[in-house]
Amino acid sequence: MLRPYQMHSVIITGPNNIQETVIKEIHNLKILHIVEHSKNELADIGRPLENAGRLSETLVKIRALIAALSIKKEEVKFELKKSLLEIESATKKLNQEASINLDELRKVEEQITKTQTAKQELEILKDIDVPLESFTSYKTLAYFTGYIKDKTSISYLKEELLEITEKFMLFDSISKKKPFIAIFIDAKNKEQANSILQKIGFSPINFSNIGNLKGNASGNLKKLEEEAKKLQQKKEFIKKNLERLSMEYKGFLIAADEFLDEQLEKAEAPLKFASTQSSFLIKGWIPTEELSKSIERLNKASKNRIFIHFELPKKEDKVPVKLRNPRYAKAFEFFIDLYSMPTYKEIDPTFFVFLTFPIFFGIMLGDIGYGIASFVIFWIFKKKIPKAKNFLNILLLASFVSILFGLLYGEFFGEEKILGYELWHLLSRMHDMFTLLYIAIGIGVVHVNIGLIIGFVNELKSHGVMKAIYEKASWFVLQIGVALLALSYFDKIDVSPLIGAVFLGLSVLMLLKGEGIKGLIELPSIFTNIMSYARLMAIGLSSVVLAVIVNDSAKEFFHKGGFFILIGVLILVIGHVINIALGLLGSFLHSLRLHYVEFFSKFFHGGAKKYKPFGLRE
Amino acid sequence: MVADISTGLIAIGSGLAIGLSAIAAAMAESTIGAAAVGAMAEKEELFGKGLLLTVIPETLVIFGLVIAILILNLAKVS
Repeated sequence: MLRPYQMHSVIITGPNNIQETVIKEIHNLKILHIVEHSKNELADIGRPLENAGRLSETLVKIRALIAALSIKKEEVKFELKKSLLEIESATKKLNQEASINLDELRKVEEQITKTQTAKQELEILKDIDVPLESFTSYKTLAYFTGYIKDKTSISYLKEELLEITEKFMLFDSISKKKPFIAIFIDAKNKEQANSILQKIGFSPINFSNIGNLKGNASGNLKKLEEEAKKLQQKKEFIKKNLERLSMEYKGFLIAADEFLDEQLEKAEAPLKFASTQSSFLIKGWIPTEELSKSIERLNKASKNRIFIHFELPKKEDKVPVKLRNPRYAKAFEFFIDLYSMPTYKEIDPTFFVFLTFPIFFGIMLGDIGYGIASFVIFWIFKKKIPKAKNFLNILLLASFVSILFGLLYGEFFGEEKILGYELWHLLSRMHDMFTLLYIAIGIGVVHVNIGLIIGFVNELKSHGVMKAIYEKASWFVLQIGVALLALSYFDKIDVSPLIGAVFLGLSVLMLLKGEGIKGLIELPSIFTNIMSYARLMAIGLSSVVLAVIVNDSAKEFFHKGGFFILIGVLILVIGHVINIALGLLGSFLHSLRLHYVEFFSKFFHGGAKKYKPFGLRE
Repeated sequence: MVADISTGLIAIGSGLAIGLSAIAAAMAESTIGAAAVGAMAEKEELFGKGLLLTVIPETLVIFGLVIAILILNLAKVS
């Protein structure tokens, strides 16, 4: 609690011929956080183990197959023969089979699109009595095909064309509810015809996909339709083949992927080591409580042929952080992880977040009905998605606290009365909003000051007592000064305002010394931070008001009776579902934000690396 | 319901308090939200941080709401 696990810096060295044994043992231990070595004049980085190339090659193939067969990753039970050679040959065989099918599928799909476009073109030409082979290129003949805007302009077109030449043919039909024309005309008159067509809004269509067809359009259409049907059947057949393959090899592929990934991690581990011609050196971190056990096991595995040096971290070391919290608060490490890891020397705020997050959430959501509803929803989610267990545990706790606050507020789905019987309440959110506002601000004062105290302790440990007083205690003096000033100004206490002013001035001087000009600029921030806690009241109030509106409008329908009751129920359900969703999102985000922005800014530095031991899978 | 003009003015005043602050928050959030979505497109893990940064200007509306309630309440007292 409050402090991460103590770490020891560890250096392991040994001759190259036992490198693989050591890697294997470290991988089994899952305890050493390796610090990557960067190349310098003393030592290069290590070279990957021999089989790394083959491993990664096979792994890439397997992943490509997983993607091509659209296999979803899930837990599978599969007895994998754990030898690279066998996996390689099995993958090769599967790859051949799959790629034959995949190639075929691609070809068929290409053909299908081709026939489809040809079909579309034929649909247009269906009602025009011209053999398809006429639509080729000529020397002395030009033709236009396309849509025009208005059917009535066809006669105008005829007249205009007659004025140029008599040598032309005009066909027209209706296709897709638009008038379609085809004109064959002497090539000499092409330009003139074109300008006439421009006048009547002609938009040309090219028939590029039917060049090799002969005869009339409707006959060809039938043929193409049959062909498309056949292609479709072929496609289905190939797809079934692929599906069978993916069902059959799913277990193998997933298991092999996992296995090879792990092997590759081991094979590429030397890239993180420092190495010379005949020896290797691993730098890393091990939690102190696991240290002696790990050293013992490493020595045993390598038959005492390695040397292990260990020491406590020095001041300038960047220690990876493994948070240490009691089981009930562990879930809240999620929030810290989301924000940033506290450094090794800082106080870990997880426990404080555990204390206040559910309370803030509860104050805002605070409704027996909403609390129960969200509890049930998150319970179901927790059963369905075991991966998000930590996160949902937080939400379950928060929903439970909401129920408690709902009891204090005497609210059930926004109602304060149920069946004419008034619920007991300590404080009604609808009617005592000012009381709640003052409570919210009060909570803000307490919470921000807890943050400042933590900041004080952090500074005390890292930079000494004077720095801590100037940087953090100055804020306390500032608050006292402002409080004294305000109270004496409004004649609440019998003290001269001068005393408040002295405190204020003192705090400004301290801040100036502690944080420089930046501190002065941030002077008002502490009050906006405290005011920000007004949201504890505001978010809750808006949620109540919405609930009351939903209830009232539903009640109106209930009074009308009959069919309207159904509408009333509908309003109730939809309204409350939306309000619960809004309430959950709002309460969650704002509670989190109060911690991240208002609370953490008082003490948190963060930016440390998370402790991630070699070999541990997420 | 017959109300005199001062009641109406008070209502307008408190409406402006929340409405204008909501516009201000919306303007701020739109910029942050767009940037957050952009960042998420590059790196999906930033969802949490993005969502959080996006709601930061919501403080403005909350101040607006508090002021609106204060105005309504002052009207009740006078």
